[in-house]
Amino acid sequence: MEHTVIFTTEDNKTATVTVPTNTMLADAAHIAGIDIGQPCGGQGRCGRCAVQVTDGNVRRRSTLRLSPADVEQGYALACQTVVEGDVSIYVPPQEKIERRLTTDRVVAEVTVPADYDYDLAQSIRRVHLQLTPPTMEDQIDDWSRLQTAFRLQANMQNVNCSLHLLQTMGETLRAGEWQVTAVIERDIDNPDKPIRLIELYPGYVDEYSPLWGCAIDIGTTTVSLWLVDLISGQVKAQVAEYNGQIARGEDVISRIIFAGKNGGGQEMRQRVLDTINDLLETACKRVKAKPEDVMKATVAGNSTMIHLLLGIPAGSIRLSPFITAVNHPPLMTAKDVGINIHHEGTVDCLPGVASYVGADITAGVLSSGLERAENVTLFIDIGTNGETVLGNRDWLVTCACSAGPAFEGAGVMNGMRATQGAIEEVWISNDTLEPTYRVIGGGKPKGICGSGLISLLSEAFLTGVIDKAGNVNLTAGSSRVREGTHGGEYVVAWGAETESGEDIVMSRVDIDNLLRAKAAIYAGFTVLADTVGIPLETTDKVLVGGSFGKYINVEKAVQIGLLPDMDWPRFEFLGNTSVKGAYYALLDWRKRERITEIAKRMTYVELSADNSFYEAFTSALFLPHTDLSKFPSVEAALHKA
Amino acid sequence: MPIEIPKDKWPGKIQSVTIGAAAAEGGTRTKSITIGGQTCMPYLHYEAPMPNRPVIAIEIKSRKPDDWSSLLAEVWGDAMNDPAQWAKKAEEAGADLLVLALTLADSPEDAVKAVKAVLGASGLPLVVWGPGQAEKDNELLVPVAEAAKGEKLVLGICEDKNYRTIVATAMANGHLVQARTPMDVNLSKQLNILISDMGMPHDRIIMDPTTGALGYGIEYGYSVMERLRLAALQGDTMTQQPMMVTPGFEAWKTKESKVGEGVPESWGDWKARAINWETLTAIALVESGADIVVLRHPESVKRVSEAIGELISV
Repeated sequence: MEHTVIFTTEDNKTATVTVPTNTMLADAAHIAGIDIGQPCGGQGRCGRCAVQVTDGNVRRRSTLRLSPADVEQGYALACQTVVEGDVSIYVPPQEKIERRLTTDRVVAEVTVPADYDYDLAQSIRRVHLQLTPPTMEDQIDDWSRLQTAFRLQANMQNVNCSLHLLQTMGETLRAGEWQVTAVIERDIDNPDKPIRLIELYPGYVDEYSPLWGCAIDIGTTTVSLWLVDLISGQVKAQVAEYNGQIARGEDVISRIIFAGKNGGGQEMRQRVLDTINDLLETACKRVKAKPEDVMKATVAGNSTMIHLLLGIPAGSIRLSPFITAVNHPPLMTAKDVGINIHHEGTVDCLPGVASYVGADITAGVLSSGLERAENVTLFIDIGTNGETVLGNRDWLVTCACSAGPAFEGAGVMNGMRATQGAIEEVWISNDTLEPTYRVIGGGKPKGICGSGLISLLSEAFLTGVIDKAGNVNLTAGSSRVREGTHGGEYVVAWGAETESGEDIVMSRVDIDNLLRAKAAIYAGFTVLADTVGIPLETTDKVLVGGSFGKYINVEKAVQIGLLPDMDWPRFEFLGNTSVKGAYYALLDWRKRERITEIAKRMTYVELSADNSFYEAFTSALFLPHTDLSKFPSVEAALHKA
Repeated sequence: MPIEIPKDKWPGKIQSVTIGAAAAEGGTRTKSITIGGQTCMPYLHYEAPMPNRPVIAIEIKSRKPDDWSSLLAEVWGDAMNDPAQWAKKAEEAGADLLVLALTLADSPEDAVKAVKAVLGASGLPLVVWGPGQAEKDNELLVPVAEAAKGEKLVLGICEDKNYRTIVATAMANGHLVQARTPMDVNLSKQLNILISDMGMPHDRIIMDPTTGALGYGIEYGYSVMERLRLAALQGDTMTQQPMMVTPGFEAWKTKESKVGEGVPESWGDWKARAINWETLTAIALVESGADIVVLRHPESVKRVSEAIGELISV
């Protein structure tokens, strides 16, 4: 029997074709000359070919990647749905589909907190002062004259300054003909405390021109820096780079050991300072500012990173009973710390909880909103140290486990950060084992970033390229699968397609690193939940942070057993929660105080106290998990494959 | 006052596995052996009967080993030079089945020849081990599996990094496999899953959770076996395979068994000590639920066999 299929596209163009019963919608569209993208090769696995059936009868062979609500609205996968009568089909634009599929995973653009008020919240201020020029009758000294102006014109009674400023003050006052712009820092909670003068510019600086600050997250693997205009609160530049300390150890333990050697501490400090200062320069160039225009840096990072940044010996973090030198460093000046912002600018290192739960997590708890959550919420930071926090506004428990840098693209042969040229998603055809991939920026691939690795591991597993233990199946019958220098490997992109001309592969060693990373993270939060007796499935939301690209694909992260098997809408991807927390603290002194409160409230659970973590770890060292009943959706997907 | 002994009723059951095929089943064995089938923890006869007794395998090699204790060389004598002779002597010593370990020096032809010779000399069911190097194992076991098609041999040793070839050839030729993992419940389960995923039926997989000798980690091995059995009885299908362990290999590499001179006098007679070491290791493992123990000394076989007899008599 023949049926009429009417396709309508976004621009209201229609195309009509007549096809027999059981024709695939994708085939009908092809006949009608309408292009429906099928990145997974028409296997019904990527969901990118979803169309909306507005009228008539179809039969859906599979609705994988579609929610019941989607189906309710008429959505169907063009590659999995056949015609059973006359039908009308709406073909949504491709990007719209992508957005629809990734709604909950897109990292929110950095929006300025709605309650941000420069006048009330910001401790850094810019003040215009008009001084009375000295005369023979008025021979008061320059500094007293400036203090008087502060008192009378800005209501600032008690202003301090450094020797350096005194050395240049006279010249500045005269260059500006007794009109100056001062940048000061005040303690909002204690108006009686002395106000610190950071810089004095001759003349009036435009009151709407940016006043710069920066938020920094020192990750073990990745350092991120946001350059912020403190007046508007807007993030004007976001930059990130691998931590230069990686060359001296991939994890915190090996870095502590290196720093303990003669001169090692100094080298570690210099390496991370170089990374930060390079990032600062790049960010400033982007907004046509100079690093010395930046008046404050708020720094988050795990406890070891903060110790190494400050050149404080970190040896006691590594050895029982695991004590830091300082969890909450005092405010310091940039020239003491060595960060190349304004030399009198403040460096504010946020407070941590313990040796292995640092300021990156307290900042993350603030920015993720976990500390205000009504229901029990799980917060997972997918980073090198795999920290997890469980709780709500009343209680917070936390743990950390060493996951390694694999999900940040480090320690993986063709791994890279989520930047231009990174393969961020991969599909592998079930029949041919040929991959399709998407590259950030669309050009030739240079490597694979964390989200790409998750996606690749999951696809390789579901198509049988690797077995549940991660062994590459060399008899899979594809030239993509071959014996490499480190055991079996899978070729994702041939040299002819890549930027470097070399093949991009996933090796057995890479797979082992990824498996260990995901097993550590999974074991961490399952043991934490067990410790407090909260079944994971009863948690209201799972907040996921980490230095990924735009998002990670929940389905694939579940398929490899990195995230628990729950309904997708319960996951929220927040990107780098640590730098975001530092950003909030930089903007608003009250939020900065809240981080101190959070650090005090968190209860740290030591995973090495018994062997439950090791048990959980080995059982998670499998795809998706040794206990498949914990992953019903993956069991179903395997059944289909 | 009468005391009622509480009885556990378990939802799970250990898989029954039959090794060796007689002529009627397509092989040449004079008898086959069935292990497994338990529905309770070991030897709790008041809860459920033991459907099959644990069995003893004797390990022989395709070539005379140069690293075995002189005590073993003494008892097996010249038979060690000829796998067929050795097999016969092992059968006489009371073995329920034989383990033939191939060596790195064997070519595929040598391996097939040795296996055929043993199959010809003894009607007992047979386990064949590769020399323990992935590539060499695969090179030797594939022709052996083909040459002994239908005999229901047990091929070993499958490990998580090297199981595909052995499992594939075992499936194609009607054999069983021995799946060995380092002492860990999860790892045992994972390898069973991997092998099952290839389509190998559950009644043709025997798991080897690895063990340690008395004084060398036996507690850990014991505990892992006990936990595997508990998981199996609780209904975890991927841990329901019968268990095979190698106390002979473990016990004979300890200093107490290997060394006769320069040890404290209080250690006593060397031979008695060595045999005690193997016997005690094996009996402890039998008690933890082992279905097959692989031994090396005939005297140990006799003693372990007696102990099993006592354990299974109600």
